[in-house]
Amino acid sequence: MLERFGIRLVPRLAAPAYVVFLISLGAIIAAIIVTGFIFWAYGVNPFSAYAIIAERTLFNGRGFSEVVRKSVPLLLAGVGLVLAFRAQFWNIGAEGQILAGAVGASGVALFVPLPPPLAIPAMFLAGFIAGALWGFLPAILKIRLGVNEIITTLMMNYIALYIVRWLINGPWKGESVVGFSYSDLFDRAIWLPTIGTTRLHWPTLLLGLLLAAFIAFLINRMRLGFEVRMIGEGPAAARYAGVNFLTTTLILVSLAAGAAGLAGVGEVAGIHHRLVEPNSISLGFGYTAIIVALLARGSPLAAILTALFMGWVFASGDVMKVALRLPFQITGVINGLVLLFIICSEPLLRYRIERIGSRASAVESETGPA
Amino acid sequence: MRRWLVILLLFTGFAFAQDSLKVGFIYVGPIGDAGWTYAHDLGRLATMAALPSIETVIVESVAEADIEPFIDQLVADGVQVIFATSFGYGDGVLAAAARYPDIIFAHATGIQRAPNVMTYIADFYQVYYLNGLIAGALTESNELGYVAAFPIPEVKRHINAFALGAREVNPEAIVEVRWLFSWFDPAGAKEATEALIAEGADVFAFTEDTPTVIQTAAERGFPSYSHYASMYEFSPDTVVSGQIVNWEAIYIDFLQGVLDGTYTNENLSDLDYFWRLGEDSVSAGAAPGMVINPVYEDQLRAAVLDHPEFGEISVYDLVFARIEQMSMTEPAYEPFTGPLSDRKGNVVYEEGQVATIPELLGLQWAAANVVGPWPEEP
Repeated sequence: MLERFGIRLVPRLAAPAYVVFLISLGAIIAAIIVTGFIFWAYGVNPFSAYAIIAERTLFNGRGFSEVVRKSVPLLLAGVGLVLAFRAQFWNIGAEGQILAGAVGASGVALFVPLPPPLAIPAMFLAGFIAGALWGFLPAILKIRLGVNEIITTLMMNYIALYIVRWLINGPWKGESVVGFSYSDLFDRAIWLPTIGTTRLHWPTLLLGLLLAAFIAFLINRMRLGFEVRMIGEGPAAARYAGVNFLTTTLILVSLAAGAAGLAGVGEVAGIHHRLVEPNSISLGFGYTAIIVALLARGSPLAAILTALFMGWVFASGDVMKVALRLPFQITGVINGLVLLFIICSEPLLRYRIERIGSRASAVESETGPA
Repeated sequence: MRRWLVILLLFTGFAFAQDSLKVGFIYVGPIGDAGWTYAHDLGRLATMAALPSIETVIVESVAEADIEPFIDQLVADGVQVIFATSFGYGDGVLAAAARYPDIIFAHATGIQRAPNVMTYIADFYQVYYLNGLIAGALTESNELGYVAAFPIPEVKRHINAFALGAREVNPEAIVEVRWLFSWFDPAGAKEATEALIAEGADVFAFTEDTPTVIQTAAERGFPSYSHYASMYEFSPDTVVSGQIVNWEAIYIDFLQGVLDGTYTNENLSDLDYFWRLGEDSVSAGAAPGMVINPVYEDQLRAAVLDHPEFGEISVYDLVFARIEQMSMTEPAYEPFTGPLSDRKGNVVYEEGQVATIPELLGLQWAAANVVGPWPEEP
């Protein structure tokens, strides 16, 4: 088929970093161009639209702080997913793990009287543990009973959602909220500090950056990371080499899910300052984190960039709603387009495009599937 | 000479533009929801027609906990008055109000005010009571279905008012409640309605921002009610009455006050609109001007009861008699009048005792003929 156009696909072992970067960038640019056509179809000039978006999200202090703020939960959950995906553990449950983390932090904030310097670390610890527990169950079900983790992690999201709902309508419902469904406000002393008057809670951001660095180190330099990669890339070889699947998977999934839990801590302790409706705690961050992780192509450090990008998409959606009067669904459309182009660009990482007749291809074509 | 005149006119035009008041509306749902948000937007359009000197900006489908960046953007656009039209915007509005002391905020269904934050609601409980009268007369199974959003005082007040109305004309009538835990959930509303139909309910009221309950009930020919805006056209044969809001009554009154300097960014701490039938901020009807759908008129005229206050009266006439009583600014009839007991048998109001507005705003109890889960039941 492709031969008709004078090209063919030649498989390659591993794409060099710059190729991965260029292909990912290409996917993003393609999504932005297609979105431009959507602007145009709505009667908005795409160039002036992007100019307004850039002005309000990148060249405006408050606007940029919103981009970063929205990328914080995406970074924490996304870095966790990078780790899980490296071991081919398809965790779709970051959304539930974020909620579990929010519950853990709220429990500490509402019911454990601690001095503020201890309370903030205790909230993060509780959120990490709660998130990790939420990932633990699907992990053990997968390793022991072979239960598909895509199903279990996804279903655990709904359990977390209903637990949060039960808490804010039942035992944790605030006394000062006249019957509405959320908890009391946390003590002001344990609200996470923000940068200036923005809503950017920097301790969570810092944690995200540190965690990205730590997981990069873990994957590339530590024995555990090597085992993670073996489980992901050659499970049979890993088993033969004596890798303990149970321990390794449990550790890595707990770490990944715990990271998402930290994102939940940031949302309740840094933004809402109380346990609220699950759909308000997370605006689908757990699902968008999947795009962050896929776009990062297995690199925790790249997740910093991709989380910022998806944070920018969210913030841009807000600008489009206000300044361009575009319908609110536009953010979902852009998310979808990015995901679509990432998936479409996947073959380019595994195959090179070559012109038929060039010398290099003549040698490899014997083995290539074309 | 003429050229100069044109230039002069252009400049005065600009001067007028400077004088106009820029008003922002933040909506929790899409304008196309046909319910809550749509009704606010109709109110906005009517307000613009009535007050030519205002200019409006809207943002739809803003998640409740995510309102602050949108306020930032509206302020950056030069908006001077912001209407935040959902209860859940409260924390964000108060935080932004502290950051922007020069901007005037109005928080729909809110409970906390500040010098530059007023609260307002056009409350439906009198209308739900009227709808209850009709439901009590129309039901054959004596089971009424209620698809409810959140178990908060506002919704509980409406369910109780509906139940009290139904019981007034039909002592056997019970109200089965299903909670959605969402203001906007067409899929959940459909499921809940089908579950209620399976349990035998045959008249349907609801608190959800779309016409889904109406459409689902209509498949079986069961009557239901318009909610917030006219939903009559979604099922002209089954929408019997309903709750119609006229937000413009409040919007025009308040913005007029802002324009003439009565309301400023410093004196709103005690301004709380709790407007009802008496102030024309709400009305009963399947559509504006159609209190009772003519399709049901004969049936409701034929339903005659011996009423303690009016004697021999048809439900049709009773509805209009009550509307007249409750349309006075000091209503001559209050649905929440004792003797009233909750469904656990506790006396809530003694003979002749009337509910106060603060009691209605914090209402938690369930009326005697309400069935189903009731979170936070006292």
